[in-house]
Amino acid sequence: MSGGFERRDFLKVLGVGGAGAALTGCSTDEVERLMPYVTAPEEITPGVATWYASTCGECASGCGVRVRTREGRVVMVEGNPDHPVSGGGLCSRGVSALQGLYNADRIATPLRAGADGFEAIGWDEALELLANRLGGGGRSLFLTGRKGPTESVLLNDFVEAVGGRRVVHDGLDDSALRAAVSIAFGVNALPRYEMAGARYLVSFGADFLETWLSPVRFAADFAGMHGVGGGAKGRFVFVGPRLSLTGQNADEWIPARPGSETAIALAVAGELVRRGGDAGPYNDFVSGYSLEDAAAAAGVETEALSSLADHFAEGGALALGPGLAGNHRAATAANLAVLILNAAAGSLGDTLHIDDAPDGEASSYGNLASAVAQMRAGSFGVAVVAGTNPAYSLPAAAGFGDAFGAVPFKVAFATTLDETASMADLVLPDAHPLESWGDSRPAPGTYAVRQPAMRPVPLFDSRPMADVLLETGQRLGHDFGAATFRDYLRGAFDRWLAEDGMRAGLAGDPNRLWRTALRTGSVSHVDLSDKITALQPPVTAVDFDAPDVVGGGMEGDSGLTLLVYPSSRFGDGTHANRPWLQELPDPVSKVMWHSWVEMNPATAERLGLRQGDIVSVATAEGSVDVPVWAYPGIREDAVAIAMGAGHTDYGQFATGKGVNPMALLPGDMDGASGALSLLTAGVTITATGAWQRLVTNEGSSDQDDRNVAPAIALSALGHAPEEEEHAQGEHGQLRELQEMGGFRPVDTEGRAEDFPLPGSDFGQYDRDQPRWAMAMDLDKCTGCSACVTACQAENNIPWVHEHQAAIGREMHWLRLERYYETVDASHSGPVDIRFLPMLCQHCNNAPCEPVCPVFAAYHTPDGLNAQAYNRCVGTRYCANNCPYKVRVFNWYRYTQDPADGGNIPEPMNWQFNPDVTVRNNGVMEKCTFCVQRIREAQNRAAVEGREVRDGEIHTACQSVCPADVITFGNIRDHDSQVAARAGDERTYRVLDALINTQPAVHYLKKVTHHDVEDAGH
Amino acid sequence: MPTALMKRLWLVAGAGAISVLLGIALIGGRQAPGEADGVQAADPLAQSQPIQFPHDTHAGQFLIDCQYCHYSAERSVDAGIPPVETCMGCHYEGRVEGRNNPEEIAKVRDFHARGEPIPWRRIYKVSDHVHFPHMRHVAAGIECQTCHGEVQEMGVLEEMAPEAGNLKMGWCISCHLERGASRDCTVCHY
Repeated sequence: MSGGFERRDFLKVLGVGGAGAALTGCSTDEVERLMPYVTAPEEITPGVATWYASTCGECASGCGVRVRTREGRVVMVEGNPDHPVSGGGLCSRGVSALQGLYNADRIATPLRAGADGFEAIGWDEALELLANRLGGGGRSLFLTGRKGPTESVLLNDFVEAVGGRRVVHDGLDDSALRAAVSIAFGVNALPRYEMAGARYLVSFGADFLETWLSPVRFAADFAGMHGVGGGAKGRFVFVGPRLSLTGQNADEWIPARPGSETAIALAVAGELVRRGGDAGPYNDFVSGYSLEDAAAAAGVETEALSSLADHFAEGGALALGPGLAGNHRAATAANLAVLILNAAAGSLGDTLHIDDAPDGEASSYGNLASAVAQMRAGSFGVAVVAGTNPAYSLPAAAGFGDAFGAVPFKVAFATTLDETASMADLVLPDAHPLESWGDSRPAPGTYAVRQPAMRPVPLFDSRPMADVLLETGQRLGHDFGAATFRDYLRGAFDRWLAEDGMRAGLAGDPNRLWRTALRTGSVSHVDLSDKITALQPPVTAVDFDAPDVVGGGMEGDSGLTLLVYPSSRFGDGTHANRPWLQELPDPVSKVMWHSWVEMNPATAERLGLRQGDIVSVATAEGSVDVPVWAYPGIREDAVAIAMGAGHTDYGQFATGKGVNPMALLPGDMDGASGALSLLTAGVTITATGAWQRLVTNEGSSDQDDRNVAPAIALSALGHAPEEEEHAQGEHGQLRELQEMGGFRPVDTEGRAEDFPLPGSDFGQYDRDQPRWAMAMDLDKCTGCSACVTACQAENNIPWVHEHQAAIGREMHWLRLERYYETVDASHSGPVDIRFLPMLCQHCNNAPCEPVCPVFAAYHTPDGLNAQAYNRCVGTRYCANNCPYKVRVFNWYRYTQDPADGGNIPEPMNWQFNPDVTVRNNGVMEKCTFCVQRIREAQNRAAVEGREVRDGEIHTACQSVCPADVITFGNIRDHDSQVAARAGDERTYRVLDALINTQPAVHYLKKVTHHDVEDAGH
Repeated sequence: MPTALMKRLWLVAGAGAISVLLGIALIGGRQAPGEADGVQAADPLAQSQPIQFPHDTHAGQFLIDCQYCHYSAERSVDAGIPPVETCMGCHYEGRVEGRNNPEEIAKVRDFHARGEPIPWRRIYKVSDHVHFPHMRHVAAGIECQTCHGEVQEMGVLEEMAPEAGNLKMGWCISCHLERGASRDCTVCHY
């Protein structure tokens, strides 16, 4: 204390600070207000969740959701098990709806473009402006995303009334498939795949577990078809240049050249016809294709293709695809070829159905390109954009920006400003699907309803577009028969019942059926649709042998083809503004927050590149700088970049994150359908000399010899060696801590239900406790990572942003590990990639517990490895001693508002689950087995005077898993589902045999068709 | 930039930590509880209830069951604060006018007429990291008075009853111990 600063003064200063801390630190001194309802809503009990059944609006699949609300606020979205399509699962994008609803970048009021950017205006003024312009501002163009059937009818009627043109645009485009079905069967419909009934599945590049058509439904069907049951298991072959996550789930990979799927499908169909198959009017045509030629065109072995033909000939097969992987300059031909193959294999009417009922809306790049040309020519006075973002999601070569900018009056319906909405003259804040009415017809004979689960978030003065259309219609003198969209929808439901429902005996009081739809999410009746079972002769000429499906070509051709594929996290980019998804490790690359270019390690070596080298990827259209991620699951002559990142104006979470590969595409398309080509040849890769550490949570893609995710061959099932039966007892004598220090031996075989052991019973615990445990069937896990996002949503887990994630501080309680066993792009053959959801193992013999100096990490009497946050002082000894790396530490105040140094801006914290403590900095945290759900169930059971039922508790990860991987329950109850699964011959516990941790999480080994080296553990 | 910012953060964090330590010492050594109250007394509105609601008249004199107003105590974690409409059930215009404080009833009607909630001052609150399920305690046959005191004999509630033990954990534990209820941390903390 030199420099004249007296010790007494120092204490005074600190004393003042201390008093301040005392006042703010002691919450009981603060006045808090209790605000009751004026009139209590009937359906809300304070402190008890209210659930609503609804339909997910995050993509066009229309999965069923159950929305959990507390005191009128949405806090969680889960799958709806009663839904006829999605059957209880959900994907990460569906869960992230919560962050769309509460996104901090949502538009708060209608905006009008002025000289100094946007100015806020009221709804009256905005509607007046809209009505005036639509009424007398020239012809109008409506560019919309895909809408539900009833909203679409309203939209089409509205567009017709005001004399405009409507174009549907979705970056996840199915126009080539629709065009192919229309040529082959004469109906504008999507095929219905009964994957669960197939024994042999071939995907020609379609990423059906990620974005294609209805991924949640497909994941459930795939688990049923491919998961082992009764000693049998379907076989899945992936054909294509790059293993997507879907491809990673395959048993066999035929790494065919980009654009060669047409030749392969037709050649296999030809082979089948030669062996007696029937491709109807195409018989002669496909006979002209030989396996040898196709193999040469695809750069694969003829034997691989003849093996395909052999399996198809056995029946029970289904060919899928090619999805967006086949979006090239002959996309319709590729889709048609796969349909022909199905017909030749006899799958039509067996595993593949075509309903004679037009459904949905085609969305094609071709239509949009013609609208762009019309805009450029000045044909439109008004352009309305809703639910789509073409300024971002189209190739720069399409020239959308200039054409759109030239339209005199531009209107955007949007929840947040994006690249397109930012260009508009009038921005109308649209309601989020969780705040809106709507519907979907996921299958003929099924009506699913979307209902608002809460009032519009009060911070944002938003209105659903459909209601705005109805009101604008009124102002313009058009009557659409209802004042609100809710009434309009109700009328549409009655009409559906009268036309479709009643015919099938779905009789009864429409009001009652409507209430059933609201309660369960949908009403269905037996499928009435007429199925088409034969190919019809082609009415349009299709060129199957397009000379150059890939296009491109520039000076100094490197021989590489660029594949642009839809992101399973961001879709076409719509979901990039969700921080959960930005920080969700990509299921394939495990990279977060930024983009990467995938290339085969051999290609990287040839080009002299290492992992993380930033390269310039260039085509004739442009270039992007992006780090290299070496991936053995891509052909040596291809490189790939995911769509969805690289936004320039899409809020604080997406802008400037990653690169947009659409800048590299020439914007050419398939002539027959107008599908945008997503491949281009003639791409060059140049090192920039810069390097970056990839932001990834992947420790290693190799298990080394730790056998974290072992597998067992199908042929070895049921023949487990004797000692394997007692795999759990392989460790040495189990010892445990005793009260006065030291260890003592314990007489146990180490079964989960033996715990807690008598010696650990320090407290006066009731001995009659359940023992919570989990079982995960790795044979069904597809690695989709929906569980990761659901866990984050349920447990108030913050995101940490790119720079913190780069140094390994991401906070996920659950991560999806992915290990390569067999991946080789140089020839056809087995592929074996293992997935393992890793979470706290709730070890009975937990290494984290004895090292905690303050008893924050301890074992509960019901077998949970608990973390008492308010005890934790942050020594981090527990995390250091955890062999599973599942404990995460709050290095900063991640959960606080940015104003307080945190990451979660208002109102994104409104999503916080009120049943879970929000942790602050300095605290260790980890998976709790969703203890809040356990306690809730126990409280409910106690009040009702009964025991907790088996299956009553669903953990958050379990409640979204589409593939039924996860089972949770009381393993001490020998009749429980979890005990049954844990008793399976495939069961093992990770690292248990090595370090004797006695985990409560039981994994069931993946089952392979090929022999695996180490079937044991 | 990050390093400079970090340095500042550490300085702030360090000073904060010392302040907190000293603050704890100050609280520990504090004799008169009135000191902190003295600071707050500057804002009398922050102290008192917006309506002088007499629990003794309602629960004592007229023997209205606690759960008539605190309607979710037996089925929810929260006991529930009565909606303004519940008050109006008896106190609608021309009905129960209140012998002693008609002006307080007028206030209730004003709130109802304006469609505004009554901003009650919260008296009982456990920390954010504590989960107290009312329904378990009601189901176990614990009287409301065990924790909240003889509310039926109290007038306007302005402070916690002495029975509530300041809602400190030791007080919870002593009762759990006495009744053989679980003392596991994750019963309340998660």
